[in-house]
Amino acid sequence: MSTEVTTQPRKRSKGIPLSYVVAIIPVAAALNIVGGYINSVLKLPIFLDMIGTMVVAVILGPWWGALVGAITNIVNSFISGPISLPFAVVNVVGALVWGYANKFGWMKKNWSFFLINVLVAFVCSIFAVPIYVFIFGGATGHFSDVMTAAFLAMGQNLVVSVFSSNILVSLADKIISGYVGLAIIEALPENLTTNAKLPKSEGLKKIIIPVVGIIIGVAIILVFLALSSK
Amino acid sequence: MDKKTVGSKEGLGLGIIGLGVMLILMPSTAQKIADLEFVQSEPFSILLGAVYVIALFVILAGAIVTFTNFYDTD
Repeated sequence: MSTEVTTQPRKRSKGIPLSYVVAIIPVAAALNIVGGYINSVLKLPIFLDMIGTMVVAVILGPWWGALVGAITNIVNSFISGPISLPFAVVNVVGALVWGYANKFGWMKKNWSFFLINVLVAFVCSIFAVPIYVFIFGGATGHFSDVMTAAFLAMGQNLVVSVFSSNILVSLADKIISGYVGLAIIEALPENLTTNAKLPKSEGLKKIIIPVVGIIIGVAIILVFLALSSK
Repeated sequence: MDKKTVGSKEGLGLGIIGLGVMLILMPSTAQKIADLEFVQSEPFSILLGAVYVIALFVILAGAIVTFTNFYDTD
């Protein structure tokens, strides 16, 4: 009696060319580092260190984005001091939220894309606030410290003050990062962005939608500045 | 041409390596942070908090390795 053993062909994980990964991850990390450096030089009330993280989390996957986030803050800790390293977890969390939201197709519509950026801001703040409060005592030298001090002066406790200032900054930062990232992804060749499930737009809308998103982010910064100056 | 490709499995592996590098750097960073003028925390408590948070991600990554099917249908 002969027994026929039928073996299913071993299916491979959906492949991304290694050369593409090797090229894009350092570029994304460099984009984050340059963004963060520009931000610290200009003393802007945002962070700008998650644009590359968003791009990689969407086009390659959440854990590739997490890797970019970790690389960014590890390298930043050598460049601008040890403050950056504990915040690596915030960058990793942002990558995971953006990456899995894309994987599950939650960013296909314009409104859902915007809401996911808001969600990223919220989740990042949840992770960032304990770092601010318990490690740094509420201040790291970032522009948002001014706002924290204003909330403290109003009689709020430290955690509420840090969260209130951080959520505003984070909201503006993640909306700007999300829409700049969207513009970068739309500019990439189509065969490199097959994993991206982002809002589809044609013609002039490709420019208008990211610009509107960035303007919303800038408007939040202006609100922040207005509140800080009071 | 047999082009080498990588997938979500490799991404997860490298993400875990990134977390490992962060863990390696944390002890010296905790000391440097504690040395900053405006920081009142002790190095031990900084290290403790950071290790707990990074450990959460390692556990999450482990859960994903355990429950994810890395073989796609195509």
